[in-house]
Amino acid sequence: MIRRVLPHGLGRGLLTRRPGTRRGGFSLDWDGKVSEIKKKIKSILPGTSCDLLPDTSHLPPEHSDVVIVGGGVLGLSVAYWLKKLESRRGGIRVLVVEQDYTYSQASTGLSVGGICQQFSLPENIQLSLFSASFLRNINEYLAVTSAPPLDLRFNPSGYLLLASEKDAAAMESNVKVQKQEGAKVCLMSPDQLRNKFPWINTEGVALASYGMENEGWFDPWCLLQGLRQKVESMGVFFCQGEVTRFVSSSQRMLTTDDEMVILKRIHEVHVKMDHSLEYQPVECAIVINAAGAWSAQIAALAGIGKGPPGTLQGTKLPVEPRKRYVYVWHCPQGPGLETPLVADTSGAYFRREGLGSNYLGGRSPTEEEEPDPANLEVDHDFFQEKVWPHLALRVPAFETLKVQTAWAGYYDYNTFDQNGVVGPHPLVVNMYFATGFSGHGLQQAPGVGRAVAEMILEGSFQTIDLSPFLFNRFYLGEKTQENNIM
Amino acid sequence: MLKMVFSTIMLLPMTWFSKNNMIWINLTTHGLIISLIPLLFFNQTNSNLINCSAHLSSDPLTTPLLMLTAWLLPLMIMASQYHLHNESPSRKKLYLSMMIFLQISLIMTFMATELILFYILFETTLIPTLIIITRWGIQAERLNAGTYFLFYTLTGSLPLLIMLLYIYNDLGSLNIMFLTLTAQKLTSTWSHNLLWLACMMAFMVKMPLYGLHLWLPKAHVEAPIAGSMVLAAVLLKLGGYGMMRLTPILDPLTEYMAYPFLMLSLWGMIMTSSICLRQTDLKSLIAYSSVSHMALVIVASLIQTPWSFTGAIILMIAHGLTSSMLFCLANSNYERTHSRIMMLSRGLQTLLPLMAFWWFMANLTNLALPPTINLMGELLVVTTSFSWSHITIMFTGLNMLITALYSLHMYITTQRGPLTHHITNIKPSFTRENMLMFMHLSPIILLSLNPSIIMGLTP
Repeated sequence: MIRRVLPHGLGRGLLTRRPGTRRGGFSLDWDGKVSEIKKKIKSILPGTSCDLLPDTSHLPPEHSDVVIVGGGVLGLSVAYWLKKLESRRGGIRVLVVEQDYTYSQASTGLSVGGICQQFSLPENIQLSLFSASFLRNINEYLAVTSAPPLDLRFNPSGYLLLASEKDAAAMESNVKVQKQEGAKVCLMSPDQLRNKFPWINTEGVALASYGMENEGWFDPWCLLQGLRQKVESMGVFFCQGEVTRFVSSSQRMLTTDDEMVILKRIHEVHVKMDHSLEYQPVECAIVINAAGAWSAQIAALAGIGKGPPGTLQGTKLPVEPRKRYVYVWHCPQGPGLETPLVADTSGAYFRREGLGSNYLGGRSPTEEEEPDPANLEVDHDFFQEKVWPHLALRVPAFETLKVQTAWAGYYDYNTFDQNGVVGPHPLVVNMYFATGFSGHGLQQAPGVGRAVAEMILEGSFQTIDLSPFLFNRFYLGEKTQENNIM
Repeated sequence: MLKMVFSTIMLLPMTWFSKNNMIWINLTTHGLIISLIPLLFFNQTNSNLINCSAHLSSDPLTTPLLMLTAWLLPLMIMASQYHLHNESPSRKKLYLSMMIFLQISLIMTFMATELILFYILFETTLIPTLIIITRWGIQAERLNAGTYFLFYTLTGSLPLLIMLLYIYNDLGSLNIMFLTLTAQKLTSTWSHNLLWLACMMAFMVKMPLYGLHLWLPKAHVEAPIAGSMVLAAVLLKLGGYGMMRLTPILDPLTEYMAYPFLMLSLWGMIMTSSICLRQTDLKSLIAYSSVSHMALVIVASLIQTPWSFTGAIILMIAHGLTSSMLFCLANSNYERTHSRIMMLSRGLQTLLPLMAFWWFMANLTNLALPPTINLMGELLVVTTSFSWSHITIMFTGLNMLITALYSLHMYITTQRGPLTHHITNIKPSFTRENMLMFMHLSPIILLSLNPSIIMGLTP
């Protein structure tokens, strides 16, 4: 009877109740039904939000022109430059998908935060120089009207790279390239070193290069938050979720040499919400892979690397996560406030942290000692056995240090040549990469973001030519390698 | 008349009873055959109505619009094939039934002799359009767009109903032929002014007039391709048609009641054309250009000279075909790149040269290149508005300049320039799409050779 009395739409919720389970009693629950009817009427009347469609406010939008997978500093930098370089305001819809809003495992937050121009590749030097000027003028770039200005806590103390006899020639040629590109670097002999830094033990050091300007370290969280605020104010959508699938279409085409290639195009990105099976298919025109340590998984989802090895189709994205430890110690007799970030000949490095005689540092393990990247647990024995001896050798005051704390972070390590991958994939035509920087992603993020945005909007790199960093090199076998890495 | 109405009604059972693989072929073929019927109404010796029946008739004002509506149905069906091919057969058939139902109401609206019948069918066209926009649109904003569309038009047309009933009570008949004979001259009292406003507002909203145009960009952008096509090509012309039908009974008042609307239209022309220059979304650009073109039609209808009516009708037909063609082109772009932004699909001429030709022709007709009918219409309207008042030439001339600017901007951004990397892999143009563009363009070109058939009541 109730079903016939109530109008169809209002009685919806009531028709699904099963009074048959309470067979014996006359339990119609009038109050519940009346309150449901009242709620229904209230939702239809004007003045309240209309819930005709299921509530999708927690899901990303159904359509976005550019989807950036990964919300770390590289992803946000690409989003920022896309919005900044579009010629009309509100032109491109950008969605940034980040799987962890707390950034607990992201390389950006766990980074040491250094910036230096002492690379051997001119492109790397130019990127770092641009980043230095970006950071210097960060309050002009990332100004948001309602927020206070950013305080990057930039310590311009420079980098000091030490070279032994066999590396000295390479260092000299590197410094020449750096000076050509406009970096302010100078070479120092062991005597000059001892003069300037009395705490250093120059045993085994033949030459050192010291960055005098635009080098140092800063707070990566501040840069991340600043980018995040600015990018949100420019109208970029954010979403916390995991990319589980790409829906794409492929087409067989012939190249000019009559070779058959299969070109793929991604149409939709399926973004799955945390702790639920719900996912939203986002229709998109361009996907940017800025997923850092997890870039290889995203590339595999798009079908990159599925093919016979040795062909362009079978070339995987050679980026994998590598765990690196950073230790913080206290040493009251340690080097003073002018201490640069010192990179020893053995690969160990340290820098000053704060004003209370604290230092942080670490060392890149060799290939055999690579820790398991499954989790971010710290191995303290590594410090005792592999790092401390070299530190103590280089800085005698560090013989009496006391480790306070330590953490581990991932490098998005490019196993091919330890330099970044930037630009479109030749076969999956609308996926762009901005990943694989193997430890210097944070310092090159502004420049790389701008390069990728230019590639998308203009079709080619305009300011800094990053063509040595394109994906093609993995197939052609041309390594763009640095002569000395950290 | 029955041959048109009945055959279109019979398209409905044909949709539901066709085999799944024959739906498109059946409907397109029969739609094309039905579109030949209005050709019979074109040969009229005088400007009396061809009285086919007491209720439905067709005169030189109606016939071009009827032809446009009938021609557009097979084009809409062809354009919808791609985005519907993944849906279940019953949803496909439902979509097509909505289009056919809309077609029936539109045909009868244009042919109605009695104004109440016209009004009822005018309102009836809202329902299938609303269903097409809200159910088959692309994004979540389509609900908002549908609501705007529905309520703007309804609010505008409710006073019209009241006024029509009052006039019926007053004059005894609302038959279009008798209106001119029995209408009394209106005086400038408050009630007659309100009568004028009430009659005209429905059509102003539908045209749309510049201040009431908010529903149009939303509805056009959120609608699927067939919805956009029919909205731009035909539904906007309902407003112009209605205005031209009602002006005989609103006679001397129009001279000064029309002033605010003329000012709004002239100003709105320039404003919406300028907004087009700043648009990034392709569909939004075409929607605003529709507002700009229809503003010219409003100016023409309100000035009420023979040449201006002629210009209005030619402009309506020309704009209907051009706008629909532009929406089809934008949709073919959208189906490939899944993005409506102009900036992300550039340099297409190297990839799809034939489509570049259709883009070129569509943009040329949009900017009213001689000798197309777009230019004929615009020229007549500009001339009559100049004779009404010399100052309007500033606005209309500036509008023609800005129209040329944004049309060329649209063309150059999408077709010329270097190709971006992410478009290198798109499907080449289908024959269906090329056919669609040709079927839009060929009436424009053929009519440019003989525009007298669409010149309306005074050839």
